[in-house]
Amino acid sequence: MSADRTHRPDQVDWSQIWYPGPTRVFTADEMARAGTDRPSRTLLTVTMLNYALAGFVLMQMAPPSATAALSLLLAIAGVIAWLGLRRLWVRPDRRSLAVVSTIGSVALMLGLIGTIELKDLARGQPPREWVVVAGIALAMLVTVVYWFAAVFRAHQIESRLRELAERERALDMARQLAAAQIQPHFLFNSLASLQHWVQAKDDRAAPMLMALTAFLRATLPLFNRQRLALGDEAEAVRQYLEVVRLRLGDRLHYGIHIDPTAAPAQVPPGLLLTLVENAVEHGVMPSLSGADVQVTASVQGSQLTVSVHDTGPGLPTDAQDGVGLANSRERLQQAFAAAASLTLENAPDGGCTARIVCPLETA
Amino acid sequence: MKPTALIADDEEAPRAQLRAALQAAWPSLNIVAECANGVDAWDAWLEHEPQVCFLDIRMPGMTGIDVARRIGGRTPVVFVTAYGDHALAAFDAGAVDYVMKPVDPERLSKALERVRTRIDQPALNPAGLQALLEQLAGGVRRPAMLDTIQAGVGKEVRQIRVADIVYFEADARYTRVVYVSDGSEGEALIRTPLKELLAQLDEREFLQVHRSVIVARRHIAAAVRVDEGHMHLTLRGRPETLSVSRPFQGLFKSQ
Repeated sequence: MSADRTHRPDQVDWSQIWYPGPTRVFTADEMARAGTDRPSRTLLTVTMLNYALAGFVLMQMAPPSATAALSLLLAIAGVIAWLGLRRLWVRPDRRSLAVVSTIGSVALMLGLIGTIELKDLARGQPPREWVVVAGIALAMLVTVVYWFAAVFRAHQIESRLRELAERERALDMARQLAAAQIQPHFLFNSLASLQHWVQAKDDRAAPMLMALTAFLRATLPLFNRQRLALGDEAEAVRQYLEVVRLRLGDRLHYGIHIDPTAAPAQVPPGLLLTLVENAVEHGVMPSLSGADVQVTASVQGSQLTVSVHDTGPGLPTDAQDGVGLANSRERLQQAFAAAASLTLENAPDGGCTARIVCPLETA
Repeated sequence: MKPTALIADDEEAPRAQLRAALQAAWPSLNIVAECANGVDAWDAWLEHEPQVCFLDIRMPGMTGIDVARRIGGRTPVVFVTAYGDHALAAFDAGAVDYVMKPVDPERLSKALERVRTRIDQPALNPAGLQALLEQLAGGVRRPAMLDTIQAGVGKEVRQIRVADIVYFEADARYTRVVYVSDGSEGEALIRTPLKELLAQLDEREFLQVHRSVIVARRHIAAAVRVDEGHMHLTLRGRPETLSVSRPFQGLFKSQ
């Protein structure tokens, strides 16, 4: 939707005086998305009835001698009008409107005057007045009908396009939120702790609220971007782990060690957070005595290695990727194709290690 | 007598909140046990046999659903769960009661009203309840099953195959493991508490018959009712008997 073609309501578009009609020209793609429908039966029926009524009135005005000629004229005019409307239906812009209404009204006027006045003109008499008036009125009527048709159709397609764009935006937002995967379970459990500490006037309420707020703030923009500096994502991860540590107390210990050379690395956002969420969900939470989570990132030559290690119960033998992990693999694949890998394995000293290896790219 | 309750949540704050909400909504309720995981919750149920249980679903060791499955309708259970937990639609059917975390006093008192009418009454449809719990339990990831147990015997660390074990018995501080390996009998003491072992043993192979005894099903010879309220198990080819405590006696009903 380019701004130069859209009408601005606070400005008078003077060109509408001498060149009326919808200014927007729809592209073939826009028409394919929003303009492939046919006019409704009702609309067609009503238009035809109106045309027949107008023809009937005209017949009543004309002398009986002109009836045959007039009927022929009305039939031809009907076909021309029909072709014009069809053209406007598929190209409702002012250029089509100008062409169609000019051809339509000129043909009608000339046809009317020509058919009925031929004899008069041959005899050297001036045209009869009613014929001229009827011709001009018909021409104006045709122009107005065309104008309405073009404006209606352009408006219809425009609003349909707008609706489609809105729906896409909403879907996109939903996709983003789904990708963000702020797990409701995490959120509500954190809120449950927070609520209790606020009610009980516990000192942990303030740090909890701060960490949770910082986490949400760091997470939401995470997914609007294609790439994010690893250091920024590590900050969101730190807030997440802090929230969980406050909730679980001694059951969680964690450390985050991002090499200064690894911090500016550009990675698809959300990957590290997903791995850490997995470590907490499947490593720390199910463990009776709790677990330790260590996040490390380092650079070797042109390769970045990010790993998340937990000391929990380790992977079950029939472990399968959950939604988060499957998404992560896909995003990694999209970003680096075959150059990146995501592996999960049981660590030799127990627990599980998730590791991402990918090319080092800095902004 | 005051009605007794057990509450279990692996997080301290929601547990404290639940306790406070319960005390406000049902002042006469006596909370006899507060547990921080499923293993403790089941053990505490066996110890206290409370009249109602409030269980978090996601807990380490054993999930709330696993605990409810073991309770098997003998005590009304109310799940206390955060949003996003499994199959809430099934709960909505009214088969199992639940409240959401953070606990809303109004929703809690509604659940409590239902609990009060059901207290000391067996579940209306125990088989249906059990089937529902099985179904819910299916969606939960559980710890890996043990296949060997390490036990220090003298100077050596013995690897005992779980398949060789006859029974486990909880001692004051240890768990006694009695096993038969290649025809010879053996015994060892391990530090892992019996209640923790329970969740890591295949239920099709092992049966808990007492708060402090887990026995391999294939070694059970017979269940003998001694008198009203007392029952013991005899074992295949072994002289000792194992006593079956009251909550487990229902496992050995004659057809």
